[in-house]
Amino acid sequence: MLIVSLVVYSCAIKEKPLPIFGERSVVGNDTVYHTIAHFEFLDQDSALVTNDTFKDKIYVADFFFTSCRTICPIMKTQMKRVYDTLQNKPDVLILSHTIDPEYDTVALLHDFAERLGVESKKWHFVTGVKDSIYKIAQTSYFATAMEDKTEPDGFIHSGAFLLIDKQGHIRGKYDGTKEDDVNRLIGDIERLRSN
Amino acid sequence: MKSYSVLSQSIGFRLQATPLKLLSFVFYLLSFSFFSCTTKEHKQATKFDQYMVQGEVLYQTHCSNCHQKKGTGLGLLYPPLNKSDFMDNHFEEVICLMKKGREGELIVNGKQFNKPMKGVASLTELEIAEIATYIYNTWDHRKGITEVKEVTTILAKCPD
Repeated sequence: MLIVSLVVYSCAIKEKPLPIFGERSVVGNDTVYHTIAHFEFLDQDSALVTNDTFKDKIYVADFFFTSCRTICPIMKTQMKRVYDTLQNKPDVLILSHTIDPEYDTVALLHDFAERLGVESKKWHFVTGVKDSIYKIAQTSYFATAMEDKTEPDGFIHSGAFLLIDKQGHIRGKYDGTKEDDVNRLIGDIERLRSN
Repeated sequence: MKSYSVLSQSIGFRLQATPLKLLSFVFYLLSFSFFSCTTKEHKQATKFDQYMVQGEVLYQTHCSNCHQKKGTGLGLLYPPLNKSDFMDNHFEEVICLMKKGREGELIVNGKQFNKPMKGVASLTELEIAEIATYIYNTWDHRKGITEVKEVTTILAKCPD
């Protein structure tokens, strides 16, 4: 009886919703939250990827480059784990931006995705105008991405994974090089879907 | 002592079985203790252990981001090391590519890989020997130690 009541009780507790990141302002009676700005990039199939690609979708975003030997391979290993959990979740996508668009062409990203063994309609690898990528990284996703010739591979960037909801709001930030943190992301995707 | 009585019982059993067997058993024990006590063998075993420990640290610094801690590689991007016919058959090339990198097609276990790997030019000959000892004696590999002088000889012949 005790066990039954405990189970019932624990099910009745409603989990706190995920936070919404960034600044907010009040317009009239509405709160306006920080939203991912408009973007236009090309993915590994040369398809145009914009905010509309993620309309009514939850997505996970990150920044990397294919020739990076430091944290990117770890991030890609971890993101592949996320990808593997999304097979039966058509409402969740992944968006990886290259921060080295001069080297990471559409053809190269195509080869990269194919070798990783992932589907383009689920996991978009995008390239575009370098400044637009850096700008959206910094101002929309709050992720660091810039060129730095003193770094071993020529760039500095954060290993963050960002969880974006259907309204384009950031709902979570995770260290894409840490297995525990990525497990938290996988759990948070489920929480967001069930909200 | 229980274990002692078990041992003497088993020796007693052998004695009953055939005296010749006991004699060879004693010789076996003597030869075993002789070899294990030689300092050269002991030093070599210690060196192997040191290379394994250092090699693992270096592997995790320079290699495991791509090839993974458990040597599994990742998809067709980064080839596996835990089981690799390329490693089995191309030891010298493996030594060279650690320092000088490698480009172009690479077939590992029948699968085609084709991503350039940059070499780590700063690796010393000792560090390469340590990494080689680690990757060639971990997972399914049991090659034994890679000596620094082997590395020196191989590096001198690496294609540019």
